[in-house]
Amino acid sequence: MADLVWLHEDALRRTHPVFVAADYERGSDTQPVFIWDVDYFGENDIGLKRQHFIYETLVEMGAEIHAGSMHDILPRLVAARGVTRVLVPATPNPNMLRRYGQIRRALSDIAFDMVDDTPFATLSKPADLGRFFRYWNKARKSAMRPHGG
Amino acid sequence: MDHIAKLSGQQPCTPSPIEGGRVAAEKALTAINPAAYAATRNFLDGAVTRLSPYIRQGILSLDEVRNHALSIEPDQKKVEKFVQELAWRDYWQRVYVAHPERIWNDVETYKTGFDASEYETDLPDDISTGQTGVACIDHFIGTMLETGYLHNHARMYVASYVVHWRRIRWQAGARWFLQNLLDGDPASNNLSWQWVASTFSNKPYIFNLENVAKYTGHEVNTRFADNRVLGYSYEQLNELLFPNLAHMAGDQHG
Repeated sequence: MADLVWLHEDALRRTHPVFVAADYERGSDTQPVFIWDVDYFGENDIGLKRQHFIYETLVEMGAEIHAGSMHDILPRLVAARGVTRVLVPATPNPNMLRRYGQIRRALSDIAFDMVDDTPFATLSKPADLGRFFRYWNKARKSAMRPHGG
Repeated sequence: MDHIAKLSGQQPCTPSPIEGGRVAAEKALTAINPAAYAATRNFLDGAVTRLSPYIRQGILSLDEVRNHALSIEPDQKKVEKFVQELAWRDYWQRVYVAHPERIWNDVETYKTGFDASEYETDLPDDISTGQTGVACIDHFIGTMLETGYLHNHARMYVASYVVHWRRIRWQAGARWFLQNLLDGDPASNNLSWQWVASTFSNKPYIFNLENVAKYTGHEVNTRFADNRVLGYSYEQLNELLFPNLAHMAGDQHG
């Protein structure tokens, strides 16, 4: 099984759990992929200064950068490399989730997994998100401990 | 930068002085002082960390930043304010996951005495270029456009000026910030604009010139003659900005 780690701008570090989930012993490519999709940048209001910041980060972490549409590039990479599973860091971004869902449906014989980041705080009950301090009163104890434990 | 601009089909601009990458992120993390942050964070020259671009892009996780803060400051009371500020980002992200529609829509109605339809929808050029004629606001806008970063207190001043002095919908300002800030995040940015606007808080956030002078250094022009629209008491500002309402409180950070 060859895994491919598909990054986006919410998770640009090698210590993200998505890299732990990737099975490198079975020949998975250790280089994550970032698709430089200008339409996506435009939809997400990512300006040029921030694009430069993202680019510096990607180069330093040794990511492959492919310019073009996510819908075109990802299926091409999957086919060319015999990828059987695509791993993506979890994100709340609807613009990314929409593309992820569309590509996943188009590549129905490939496994797709979203991998959560390490949590900041663990809540025993669903948080009341009506106001910050309602959340903080429930999260404080966990948040003030190392690893939120 | 030329390569990036070509990739994106735009004219090159000057990169931010804040460097991308994990090495730069770890250097910034090593430099944090949670106790000093708690004491001085509202001052523009205070011990703020500038970690937000790295946290926003996931170059640093909230978990590791918190863990590092706890490891270097054994006194929990001194580190709590810093951890609480990290928790604000966790909170905004949770709202984003649970209610993605709140990112661009008013969570609640404005509590300013005005209906949303009474606010302009587009950001005027004098604001987007930092030529409003209000010296301190123009200074803050210029800093954002030049560096891709702005101190949080200055962001609140600019957001409040846009929404309450100029009566422009928060969405226009939020999009403008997203396009120009290295740490532009739909949840943290837009919901903070809603907090200032009062569509996700109990009252509008306003400030006055005295408050700006208190928290900024000498490099910011806070002379009355150059910032007249801000040079009032909170009581006067409430009457001027929210004539349909009775009394309201001012800057919560004052």
